[in-house]
Order: sequence, then C-alpha cells, then structure tokens
Amino acid sequence: MAIDIQTMVNVAAYAGGGLAMGLGAIGAAIGEGHTAALANIAIARNEKASGEIFKNMLVGQAVAESASIFALVIAILLLFLDAGSPNVVKAAALFGAGLSMGFGAIGSGVGSGYPAGQACFGISRQPAASSQLTTNMLIGSAVCQTPAIFSMVVALMLIFIDFGGAPPQPAWAAMLGAGLSMGLAAIGSGYGGGLAAGASCEGIARHPRTVTNVTTIMLVGQAVAQTPSIFGLLISFILMFKSFPASTTLSAAMALLGAGLCMGFGGIGPGIGNGMAAEGAVRWVARNQEHAGELMRMMLVGQAVSQSTAIYAMVVSLVLIFVL
Amino acid sequence: MKEMGIIHQLIIPFFGHRITINLEVVLMTWIVFIILILVGLAFTRKSGIVPRPLQALGEMIVTVLYDLTEDALGKELAQTYAPMVCALFLFLLLSNWLGIIPHLDEPTKDLNTTLSLGIMGFCIAHYAGIKSKGFKAYAKEYFQPIFFMMPLNVIGELAKIVSISFRLFGNIMGGSIIILVVSHLIYSLVLPPLLYAFFGLFVGTIQAFVFTMLTVVYISVQVK
Repeated sequence: MAIDIQTMVNVAAYAGGGLAMGLGAIGAAIGEGHTAALANIAIARNEKASGEIFKNMLVGQAVAESASIFALVIAILLLFLDAGSPNVVKAAALFGAGLSMGFGAIGSGVGSGYPAGQACFGISRQPAASSQLTTNMLIGSAVCQTPAIFSMVVALMLIFIDFGGAPPQPAWAAMLGAGLSMGLAAIGSGYGGGLAAGASCEGIARHPRTVTNVTTIMLVGQAVAQTPSIFGLLISFILMFKSFPASTTLSAAMALLGAGLCMGFGGIGPGIGNGMAAEGAVRWVARNQEHAGELMRMMLVGQAVSQSTAIYAMVVSLVLIFVL
Repeated sequence: MKEMGIIHQLIIPFFGHRITINLEVVLMTWIVFIILILVGLAFTRKSGIVPRPLQALGEMIVTVLYDLTEDALGKELAQTYAPMVCALFLFLLLSNWLGIIPHLDEPTKDLNTTLSLGIMGFCIAHYAGIKSKGFKAYAKEYFQPIFFMMPLNVIGELAKIVSISFRLFGNIMGGSIIILVVSHLIYSLVLPPLLYAFFGLFVGTIQAFVFTMLTVVYISVQVK
C-alpha cells in the first residue's frame, strides 16, 4: 500500500492530537489530586473552615486544569482542522505541535497543584487570612501556567503558519525539533514555579503580615525558574523561522532535531532546581522577614549557578543550528 | 488567520544596508508616551499639602515602587534608581494594557521593545556594579570559580538579557496569539472579553512587575 502525502499529513495530525491530549492529561490530574489530598488533611485539622477550604480547592483545581484544557484545544484543532496544502513539512509541524503541547502541559499541571494544596492547608491554619491566601494562590498558579502558554503558542504557530516554501529535507526536522524543544523545556519550569508558589502559600499561612515580601520573592523566583522554558522558546523560534538551505544528506536534519532535543532535555533539570531554590527562599522569608534582601540575593546567585547547565544546553543547541 | 505574523514595516536603504522601522510599534510606543505624560500632568496639577484624589493616587503608586526599590538596593542607591524604576514600571504597565483597546496593539508584543529595555537594564546594572565596586573587583568576578570559566560566565550574563526580554515578549505575544486564534475559532462569542481581562490586565500587570523587579534585582546583585 503506497502512502500518499495527504494520508501522511492526516497520520501526523491524528498522532499529534492523541499525544497532545494523552500527555497533557498527566500533569493536571496529579496536581489536582495533590490539592484534594491537602484539602482533606486541612478539613480534618479544622473542620469549621470546611466551606472555605472546599471553595478554595475547587478554584485551585480549576486553575490547575487549565494546562490540560490548553492540550484539549490543541488536540481538537489537530483532529478537526483542515491542514491546507499537504506536504512533508506540514506533517512534521502538526506532529511537532502535538509534542510541544503534550509535554508542555505536564509541568504546569503538576506545579499549579502545589499552591492550591498549600492554600487549602493554610486556610485550616489561618482562616482569617483566607482571602490573601486565595489571591496569592491565583497569582502563583497563573504564573505557573506560563510555560504551558508558551507551549500552546508554539503549537498554534506550528499549526497555522504555512511553512510550505521551506525545503523539505532539513525543515521537517526543524519543525519536530521546535516542538520538542519547547515542550520538554516547559516541564521543569512549570514544576519549579509550582514549588515556589506552594512555599509562598505556606509562608503566608504561617505569617500573614509578610504577604508583600513573600509574593514579591515568589514572583522573582518563579520568573527565574521559567528561564529554561524561555530558552526553549528561543530555540524553537529559531528552528521555525530561520531558513535552512536544502540538503540531500540526513546529517543536517539530524543536527536540527538534536538541537531541539538538547535544549528540551537540558531545560528540565534547571527548571526544577531553580524552583527548589526559590521554594527555600520563599518559605524562609515568611519566618525571617528582616533578612528578605539577603535571602533574595542568595536565591538568585544559587539559581544562576543551577541555571548554568541550561545555558550549556542552549550553547550546544545554537552550535548545532548555526555551525554544523 | 492571515493577520498572524504580518508587520507593517518602513524600509530605508542606507549605504547598502536596510534600516527597518516597524511603524505600528513606534506609533503605539508614542501613544503610551503621550498617555503617560498626560497622566503625570493630571496627577501633579494643583498639587498641595492636602492632596486631591488624583494626587493621592499618584503618590501612592510612586511610594509603593520607591519602597520596593529601597528594600532591594538600600537608601542611597534607591534615590538614584527609583525614578527609573517608576518610569519603567509605568511604561510597561500601560504598554501591556494598551492591547485591550480595539485597534491598538501592545508595543511589548514586538521583540525590539523588550530587547532594548532588557539591554538598557543590563547596561545600568553593570554601570552600577563598576561604579560601586571598582573595575578590578568587577572584572575579577568573571574569573570565579576558576579562570577558564570566563567565557561561560560572560554567556551567563548575556543570557540574562535573553531571558528577561523574551519572558515579557513571549507572554504578551503569546497572549495576543491565543486571543486571536480562540476568537477566530468561536466567532468572537462570549469568551474574548474574559481572555482580554486575563492576558491583557492580569498577566500584563504581573509581567510588568516581574520585569521591573528583575531589573532592580540585577542591579542589586551587581552592586553588593
């Protein structure tokens, strides 16, 4: 049976859609389960606040769900959208879009479960601070979603922009690489941002007056934890929009695919590590507010060192793209 | 879907090179400038010991930003850098909010705006570092922990510009692409105002704050 080009594009779109939703369902479910677990503990400790805790749990879970809703949107687009002119690059781009969104939703889903859970637990401790806790939880989980939003943007670009003019031989690998780079690099950053946001909700419950300091350091820590996913975004933009010369050998294509894989996997660890650094700083600012400035500086220096591995990955990816 | 990725450009030939100007971005940036100047005039008009409501609002915004700078940099440096921090935050805030008005676009949606602001913050931070520590102590830091780490330390510093400017650009541009695609898919029913509220107002405010705080923090890391 000969496979014509239209069948190939359909196969790529259906496989991509399946992967987007399948992988995208992992993270949010774990995050929501974590929230529910902590809400149960919270109600057991302070059953009088159960109404407040229940409400907070539902709001937090709704935010954690958004990563997998993004995946659902991309999956539906891949399944039902008419791809336009069928060619090899389009097929690779559709499959890459699925990979980007599927992997990208994992970290943010798990991550935004942490602030929601800690906010529920915090309300049982300090029912008076419940409105501050809910606000902080919403800010923290919204920032956690940023890597998933980046993945969704890359997926939408891969779906809607017409790359038909590019020479198919290296371009198919560039499209796959773009999806992998963004999707994998988003895992660590989403999870790490969640760690920082969870610690901030715990800190506010411990000492509600420190809310300004805790929220500020949480935002800075989360922003730095997102840096690996921003490098992933950068590499996937370069892979999508740089025009590569046509080549007959496979090695040029493999260099581009390798660049995406290198940045993607290289971004996972630094994202989680930076999140852990931010978690420590944010948690202890609430207990020792006088030294907030020093804690923030120490957090940034530590994060810069932990970030250096992401920078190595970015340098190797850029070498793979521009030199080889 | 055709609007995605179309930019109106003015290309001027210049001795064999081409100078490209993104007309819409320049126009939108000027609109933000004009709004900022008008707001500033409105806040300070007829200022007195007993503040009128607008003056009180203006003083409140400036005080909050001044305190944040002072927490990170200390009293002396805050006097130098707080006006820049206030200006940066207000410019970014208005830029990110501009997109909620129909037919206007956020200037921060263009990488040129965010990258130039990022380079500005980078230069200011390193100037402050050299000024407070002296050039020798400043240069010595690049050879930590061992001398051959120097190129990677330099790349690490330059990566800060990439991360700070792409963070803002990615969030604002990503928001506008998601709004465009989702509005197109659902024929602009019900959802778009909510999306504008989330991506324009909420994410815009958070990202303006994050960009400003990171600029302050980069200065404080260089100084101490």
